[in-house]
Amino acid sequence: MPIDWDPIWLTLRLASITTFILLLIGVPLAGWLALSRFRLKPLVETVISLPLVLPPSVVGFYLLLAFSPNSWLGAWLLRTLNLQLVFSFEGLVLASLLYSLPFMVHPIQAGLENLPISWREAAYTLGQSPVRTLWHVLLPNCKPALLTGIVLSFAHTIGEFGLVLMIGGNLPGQTRVASIAIYDEVELLHFESAHVYAALLLGLSFLILLLVYAINKRVTI
Amino acid sequence: MKNLIFLLLFWPACAQSQALRVAVAANAQFVMEQLRTAFQKQTSVTVESIVSSSGKLTTQIQQGAPYDVFLSADMDYPQALYKQGLTQAAPAIYAYGTLVLWTVGDLPLSKDLTVLKNPAVRHIAIANPAKAPYGEAAESVLKHAQLTDQVKAKIVYGESIAQVNQYVLSGSAEMGFTAKSVVLDPSLQQKGHWIELSTDHYSPIAQGVVVLKRTTQGKAAGQFVQFLRSQTARRILQQFGYRLPKN
Repeated sequence: MPIDWDPIWLTLRLASITTFILLLIGVPLAGWLALSRFRLKPLVETVISLPLVLPPSVVGFYLLLAFSPNSWLGAWLLRTLNLQLVFSFEGLVLASLLYSLPFMVHPIQAGLENLPISWREAAYTLGQSPVRTLWHVLLPNCKPALLTGIVLSFAHTIGEFGLVLMIGGNLPGQTRVASIAIYDEVELLHFESAHVYAALLLGLSFLILLLVYAINKRVTI
Repeated sequence: MKNLIFLLLFWPACAQSQALRVAVAANAQFVMEQLRTAFQKQTSVTVESIVSSSGKLTTQIQQGAPYDVFLSADMDYPQALYKQGLTQAAPAIYAYGTLVLWTVGDLPLSKDLTVLKNPAVRHIAIANPAKAPYGEAAESVLKHAQLTDQVKAKIVYGESIAQVNQYVLSGSAEMGFTAKSVVLDPSLQQKGHWIELSTDHYSPIAQGVVVLKRTTQGKAAGQFVQFLRSQTARRILQQFGYRLPKN
């Protein structure tokens, strides 16, 4: 039973790219949520947290329709950027960004909110801007929270299934990630290769989570 | 109070009269609705259908899923179950499936399938050939039209006919190879247009039915398999574009 390694590499690539982009988006977003007193903050927090409670099929269904060339968004993307997001790796990245966003934002936001407020006030008194304060004072002091965000986003993207199943189209090297490969092997009654993929993912997920728990004695999501 | 909650929680489980559970391959989901209605009218046996891909249903049956009858999209999966001693008898053919090319756009379809080379067709959806006979048939048709290499980059795989239908209906894929039984369903007849492909260009899609050994509804299951050979059922199957085995 030859094992095709492509799905495993594709999963790791998807998870790495997603995590990297989420870090770029998530840090400023978490900083803003932790520091600002914006009146509509609960609304923003709700939108960010939606993927935690929505079934992947709901997100997948909306994305399938939104990315289709028949919708205004899909048509616009196709016309201007020549980008089609259904059945493509780029589409999976975008879907994963939406889907793993809370896993990056929540730990970092919690980490920032747990820092003594006096640090922030001291930096402001010394004439530092909120952005410089965040970058030079606050973030360096919540490294475990940053690491938690990075690792959880990575792990959550590895575990994606329903969403990819709905908008992926099962293309080898493009959208056939490991979770989909397992599903296929089980349907084809190839339990041996399903076992190999499943054991790999189980081991990987176990190690990733062990790393988080070893670094933070308590993970807050 | 506690007892009441308990009762409410488990009420459906104890109050349910046993229905006949029929596991149905995705291509036959629409025809099954009509077959079910006709069968219920004749016998007053309630039928529940569970729709999925043949492969998934087979895996579930191997793991002891509580189905009584299995209508597959092919012969291989029910044959595998028969070999493992999970069915009452060898699979019987209840229908032959027909393959169509379907689009909801307004591109003209022709028998030679040249439309697939059109740059406006970015994606062609077919069911995964490894596990869906309609996907296998679609591949064979493409090979016959000598288009395999030219359209390779456009092909996307649905996990079953059901997902091919989603891709075509949502417009994510401009074209898709699906079962004739799908496009003949009354709810989909106004959606786009389709063309039937020559049955000489792919092997017949023989679809098998088996009664599972674990059934507790032997009588009703037997009646259902008998019913599939009846004039009523044959008429319904024909309306949905299936070709029939000789009786």
